[in-house]
Amino acid sequence: MKPKASVNRPPTPDVVENVPEREPTLQELINIKLIETGEKERLMELLRERLVDCGWKDEMETLCRAVVKKKGRNNVTVDELVHVITPKGRVSIPDSVKAELLQRIRTFLVSAAL
Amino acid sequence: MSVPNEENLSSHSQLSSHFFLDLLDSIIVDVASECHRVARLGLDSNLEEEDEELKLSAQARVRVADPSNSNEANGKYVVDIFGQTHPPVANEIFDCMNCGRSIMAGRFAPHLEKCMGKGRKARLKVTRSSTAAQNRYSRGSPSPGSTYSPYSNYSTNSMNRLANGTSTFAGEEHSNGTLES
Repeated sequence: MKPKASVNRPPTPDVVENVPEREPTLQELINIKLIETGEKERLMELLRERLVDCGWKDEMETLCRAVVKKKGRNNVTVDELVHVITPKGRVSIPDSVKAELLQRIRTFLVSAAL
Repeated sequence: MSVPNEENLSSHSQLSSHFFLDLLDSIIVDVASECHRVARLGLDSNLEEEDEELKLSAQARVRVADPSNSNEANGKYVVDIFGQTHPPVANEIFDCMNCGRSIMAGRFAPHLEKCMGKGRKARLKVTRSSTAAQNRYSRGSPSPGSTYSPYSNYSTNSMNRLANGTSTFAGEEHSNGTLES
């Protein structure tokens, strides 16, 4: 039997040494910290619960339904819905919910800074 | 010392509001995508029907609250849910099964209250209770009838004995046995 020739791999190229590493910003660092500790998920769930309780989500769904009726269910896109409801959604957040979430985020920042 | 604290506080406030807006935008995108999915798949037909029912119920509530409608209801005839008109007081006439008078259906309950001596006003009327007492006294009169039944039993027994006496010879033996005991 004729022996198989081994596959000759090309040599691995050298790592380019001139790429400067970008220093991450404080926001990015804290965001990574939030994700790693699981606090972001907890905050997300808490915010979702609070918004459902106070009826904010129902208002948003009503707005979305109105937009769908206006444009037709086959002509509407997610981007259009997001574009329409984002300003109204930001404005109509109840102050109590916003204060609670901001307090929790601030507490996390203080503990992370320590 | 105080200056870095103030800077930290302000930066913390800015950072916290920034993160809050990020979370809020995520939730807004979630809601929008959910509504878009429902709309594209046609899952909201039931919701539309519910909306229509809500509108109809709101209209009905407004119509009930309208004084002009209530005036119509207070009028001469009442319209029921089937659209039929009825007089405010039932005017069908029939005979009372207790005293035999002819009474209108709408006034039958107060009539019964007086006729039978029962109900809310019966306590105030002594005449009805005296009438009931008279009825009870008259019910006592059949008591002689109760004494009649043992007499009939006695006569039945004597007839049985006569029949035994007129029977055959064997029957006489039985009668003799009875006399001996």
